[in-house]
Parts: sequence; C-alpha cells; structure tokens
Amino acid sequence: MLDRRSFLTAAGLGALVVALPVPALADAAGLVPTVFVRLDADGRITATAPRPDTGQGVRTVVAMLVAEELAVDLDAVHVEQALGDTARYGSQVVANSSSLRLMTEPLRRAAATARCLLVAAAAARWGVPVESCRARDGFVEHPRRRRLPYAALVADAAALDPATVPVTLVPRREWKVLGRGAGRIDAHDIVTGKARYGIDVVRPGLLTAVVARPPWIGAVPDVVDDAAARAVAGVVDVVRVDGGIAVVAGSAPAALRGREALAVTWTGGTPTADSREWLEDLAGALPATEPAPGPVALRAEYRLPLLAHAPMEPMNATADVRADGVSLWVPTQDPGGLRTRLAQTLGLDPALVRVEPTLAGGAFGRRVESDFVLEAVACSRAVGKPVKVLWTRDDDTRHDSYRPMSVHRLSAVVDAEGLPTWRSHAVSTWPLTTSPPFANPAVVKGSGDHFPYTVPGAVVVGLTPAPLRTAFWRAVYAGQFGYAEECFLSAIGDRGGWDQVALRRRLLPADSRLRRVLDVAANRARWSASRHRARGVACHLDYGSAIAVVAVVELEDGVPRVRRVTAAVDVGAALHPSGVRAQVEGCVVDAVSTVLGARITVREGRVVQSSFRDYAWARIDRAPEVDVVLVPSDAPIGGLGELAYPPAAAAIASAVAVATGRPVTGMPVNTDVG
Amino acid sequence: MGTHRLRVNGSWHEVDLPDDTPLLWALREDLGLTGPKYGCGVGACGACTSIVDGSAFRPCTTSVADAAGGDITTIEGLSRRGDHPVQRAWVEQDVAQCGYCQPGQIMTTVALLAEHPDPSDADIDEALRDNVCRCGTYARIRVAVKRAAQLARGGR
Repeated sequence: MLDRRSFLTAAGLGALVVALPVPALADAAGLVPTVFVRLDADGRITATAPRPDTGQGVRTVVAMLVAEELAVDLDAVHVEQALGDTARYGSQVVANSSSLRLMTEPLRRAAATARCLLVAAAAARWGVPVESCRARDGFVEHPRRRRLPYAALVADAAALDPATVPVTLVPRREWKVLGRGAGRIDAHDIVTGKARYGIDVVRPGLLTAVVARPPWIGAVPDVVDDAAARAVAGVVDVVRVDGGIAVVAGSAPAALRGREALAVTWTGGTPTADSREWLEDLAGALPATEPAPGPVALRAEYRLPLLAHAPMEPMNATADVRADGVSLWVPTQDPGGLRTRLAQTLGLDPALVRVEPTLAGGAFGRRVESDFVLEAVACSRAVGKPVKVLWTRDDDTRHDSYRPMSVHRLSAVVDAEGLPTWRSHAVSTWPLTTSPPFANPAVVKGSGDHFPYTVPGAVVVGLTPAPLRTAFWRAVYAGQFGYAEECFLSAIGDRGGWDQVALRRRLLPADSRLRRVLDVAANRARWSASRHRARGVACHLDYGSAIAVVAVVELEDGVPRVRRVTAAVDVGAALHPSGVRAQVEGCVVDAVSTVLGARITVREGRVVQSSFRDYAWARIDRAPEVDVVLVPSDAPIGGLGELAYPPAAAAIASAVAVATGRPVTGMPVNTDVG
Repeated sequence: MGTHRLRVNGSWHEVDLPDDTPLLWALREDLGLTGPKYGCGVGACGACTSIVDGSAFRPCTTSVADAAGGDITTIEGLSRRGDHPVQRAWVEQDVAQCGYCQPGQIMTTVALLAEHPDPSDADIDEALRDNVCRCGTYARIRVAVKRAAQLARGGR
C-alpha cells in the first residue's frame, strides 16, 4: 500500500505520477529509489526504464509490464530512458541477469496503482461501486454508465489518497500483453537507421578523439612527439589520458590521421608476455592432489582461453565538461554507478554530473566499466568542448578487459554402475581486475560454482594475479566452471557407458525444475529416437532460472558443424517470449563461436587479434538452428541474459567430442588454447 | 583536400575532404546519415554496408574520391516509411537484439534479393557470411530473408 508521501501529484500539470519505492533496489544507505509511471492530462502514458537497453530488450519489457497493468496497447506506452541517478532508481546496472528479476514487481505495481486510481475516480464520478467498473483499452467502463477515457480521469485520480485504494495486479491467466508475441519497441527505429547509439551522439561543436594506446601490455608513453600530429588538418589538440595519448580533432578521420602521425616511444609493461606461458603458470598453480574419499576413477583437465567482449559498437563516450558540471552521453550498462564513480573521481557533487545512457550496440559485460568515459572527460576538460572518444575496432579488440584464462582439473570417484559418488573441481584462474570483490576466491567460487547434481565433493579456487585487465563476460565465471563440469560429467558418462540424458536424470532430484527442463529438451530433440550419434547435453541452474540444452554436431569434411541446438528453459513466466528466445539464441552463437575457434592470444606482449577477421566469431553460415521451448512454472521471474551460455558451450563441446572421437581438453576444442 | 560530389539517397551533396577519407565518415559526419554503422573500419564486419549502383558495398573501405559519381543508398534511403519488404520482414520476425549490425544486414539482403529473388540457404550464407552479428540473431535473419523474398514477390 502506498503512503501519501510516495504518491506524487504533479501540481499544475494535471498529471498522475506514480512513484513507488523499489525495496529490492534500495541499497544499504537507505535510499528510496523509485520507478515511475506517468499519465499526463492528455492521457499520454510514460514508463521510465531505469536500466539501459544493451540489446537484451529491457525497454520492451518495461513497456509490456506497464501496458498490461494499465490495460492499454503496447503502442500506447512511451518509454523514457532514466538518467543515471541511484538515489532515485537504486542500482541501474545491467548485470547478473537481474533487471527483470528486480524490476518486474515494482513496475507492475506502479502501473496497477495508476489503473486502480483511475477506476476509483470513475466510480466516484458515476456514484457506483468500484467493483462494478473496470479498465480496458485506455478507458474505464461501467456496464450501464458508458465509459470514460483515462485522460478525463487523470486529475480526479491524482487527487485521490492512494492509501484508500486497494491495488490488485492482473493475474497471469488474464495477461493480454505479457507472455504474448510482442516485438521490440525499437524495431522500426533500428530497421530504418534512426536508432541512436552512443557513437551517433551529436552535440554542437562536438570534437572526436582517438587514443594512441600502448603497443604492448602495460606500456606507458616515454617520449611523445606530437608536432606532426598537430600539423594534420583538423587536429585541435593532443591530450595525455589514462589509456595513452589522445588526438582530438574536428572529425573522426582527422583524429585517426592525427593518431597515425603521432610519434610515441613507450616504456615499461611486459613486452615479452605470452599467453601460452600464462596458461602453463595457471596449470602449475593447481593443487597436486585432491582429497578423494576413495580411488579416483577419472581425471580431466580443461584449459580455457582469454575472450574479448567485442560488441558491434566499439567503446565510445561523449563528455561535455563545463565549469558548472559534466554531461555525458554513454552506451553504458551502469548509468547510476557511472555517475557516482565520476562524481567521486572528479570531486564533484553527483548533482553536477549528468549521465544519459544511449542505446548500446551490445555490451556483454564490457560496458560496466568507465575507462573509456574517463578518457572522454579528460579530453573535454583539456579542450573545453564536448568530445566523443572513439575506440577503433583494433583498440576495442586489443585493449579490452578480457574474460580470464582458467585451468580446471576435475576428478571423480565412481560406484559400480559408473555413477559419480564424489567429485573434485580445482580451478586456477585470475581475479577480475576491474571489480575488486572478485579478487576473493570465495566470490569467484560463488560466481562460478552452480553444480546442480547430487554429487558431493570439493571445489577449490586458486587465484593468481592477472597479467592484464580482466572483467565480467557474459555468465562471468559460470561460463568457465559450468563448461568444465558438464564436459567432465559427459566424460564420466562415456566411461560408464551411460546415456548422457539418463545419467543426468539419475543425478538430479526427481521433481526439480532442472529435471523437468531436461526431460522437455530431450523429448523435443527426440533424444531417444534420433539417429544422430554426435550429441551433447548440459544443464544449468542460475539467476533463478533452469535450462537444459541439447546440441547436435556433424562433421563436414572433418570440420565440426553445429547443426541444431534445442533448449528448454524455465524462467517462471516468460514475460516476453520472443526476447527469451532471443537471449538463448544469442548465447548459443556465443557458444558456437567460443567452442569452435574464437579466442584471444598474446605474443610478445601484444594481443594478436585485431578485428572480427581474426577474432573468429561465428557468422550466419555457422549458426545452427535453435529451438527454444519455454517451460512455464510458478517460480518467481528468473534471469536469462547469461543462462544459456555455459550449458550451450558444454553441450556443443561434448557433441564435438563424440563426432571427432577426441575428448574435450579445453576451449576452443579444435585450436591451441593459449 | 578536394571537393567530392556524392549522390546519396537520391540527392547530390558536396563534401570537402581529403580524397582518401573513408566514405563512411562523410556519410556519418558530413551528411548526418548515422544508419551505416562504424564497426571495424576495415571491411571485416559489414555494419556499414550500403548500396552503390545496386550492389552492396562497404563505405568504411571506400574513399570519397572513389564513391563520387556512384548512386549510393544508405539504410535511411531504402524506403520513405520504413516499409521496404526487407524492413517489414525484419520487424515481423523481431530480428534485432542490440540492432547495431542490422542496417548492414538489411542492406546486404536488399542487394541479395535483387540478384536472387528466391534465395537458397547457400545464397544466404554466401551473401551474409561477412556480416557479423555479435548478438547472434543469425537464425532469425535467415527466416527474415526468406520472408522478405516472399513479401517482395507480393506474398502475404
């Protein structure tokens, strides 16, 4: 129930604004964040999306939630992107597949409150019981009293005391928008080229900067000769920033020419670093033995590479630093956190820092960070004009914050049937340098260890200092742990002559969500009947959701091709079914890409790969058919953006192992990892 | 430095830029056409794909000097109301995730359908192999290409 204070009427505007506290989003400092649904006097409905859209479609679901509870068409809801403001919205970070888990209930409740107030206002005007009125298609109706549009009721509704109006949510069985086939609300803008991303930001007098970055890891500028760069037509200034030497110019091509003309000698860093050696060092740090309660029947080691985020839109940020404050336009995963961090870094009152999140051309974890934003701020401050810092693809690939390398050693004790009765998983990896809590092995273990099967054992995580920047990457450590665990479980199954689905059924609790999705996926993929031999299956339970994935692989001229992937997923209720499927489809392509070739390597201190030419992300000709079955349950809304990656990768790798007859030893499966 | 006359989306524009300036920047910065996206600058991702004289091409690896005289269409010029069959199919199939690569995917498809009104899977692979989608919308792109072909033939 609302108290009067949390319900605001916008005096003079004749508008109804519902501002509800979001307890789940409130942080320890006791802030009262709010989510807004606004009805203007003309009936226009505005929903505020507190978290940015990086391709996961959250703006569309915000509109759907509000449309459902306000009983209007999806088209009637205008979505406004919230500026960075944690005091108002709580955490705004797109991370840990949490947006809908935390936002669904408060957004529904805000819109439902508005609907119940409108109905109460109409009932009062007509002098009829509230129960006899209902909201439909933007009107409040009464069987005998005709109907009134919301616009005619906004002022009356805004004058009601919400504490006197009970709020009911639309029950799931009556949903008309949620759970239905809506498409992305930004679709038309996207297909016409009107969608605006960070890279498209235009400001009066905007300059563009590109940064000369260290040629090897950790190098810093020694001698900088910028005379030739400054002589390039259009170049305005050359500025030292954290990432290197920025050339600021009137246009992107002028800045790029200026960077080419820059003469910099570099010093320090690790000019001989080699990722093959890093991998050996990680393997060497593993414990020599495991505390097994009996004879170990099977051991395996898996080596996983560095991975880059490589979103289609390279890193960029636009900053306008003025005496009276800083404005930023950034494709970011965390507008609120960015504002707080920048205010701290710059020694400013957060009220003087304005962060406007734009659409982001992919993110995958990279846009949680603020390194590229600080470069824009430094440039703008130096030249006194708005500056967009643009990373080239080469910059983005070679100077990313990568998913850490890892080496996994697994072992198992098995019974007479070949079923595992005890397991050990020793992990040797690096922390996330961009997130201090992840320097703690317990935090890394918490992120990675979601082993869902009823097999006791020991998971040990050892961390050694990272030799380069590392960061969140879709599914974070679960992408590594889950991959190794499921590949190893398949190896245990093979050793015991087990059918892989039957093995997993035996090891999952009888009425668990995971066993249910496993059965659905196996049936849908015709696991028992299929003639395909090269198949793999894997399960994953995380973010409050459950998924099982079956992959079918064929060899084409000796090269593994993933033909079909079937996934059954239980996210509770799928609010936006097309979006749910899209996230699974995306994770499957990530899995195909990383299992069959994409990885980052380092030689002589440099990242070898520089673009999609050599960072071998899958293309359409390697993309499998993906069949996603939604398995509804009564569970609370679960997260999904990352869920399918670990099991899809493991299922594909296990299928490749069957196809080629070579056991999985790491990722990618067909290439030197380091 | 030179003056280059560019014909883009049916009208003529003059830009004063060094001859070797990639057309992509002229489109984006001088003409304000930000639909063609910068993804790599080296012709390796296809996000900027547009059409010149009926064929798909990469403005990021085409200089303004070379582009002068060609009849260029960007995503903005594909249709007045955003209802080209390929655009309609893309919306209908809910193809986009982040959407950043989609102008390039769409323009590549437009050129494909001009040549193959009823493309096979192999034709689709061949035409779209060099367009990266990091969100992994490929399966929907394949369906949407076939649907667009159907719409273009007057199908419903």
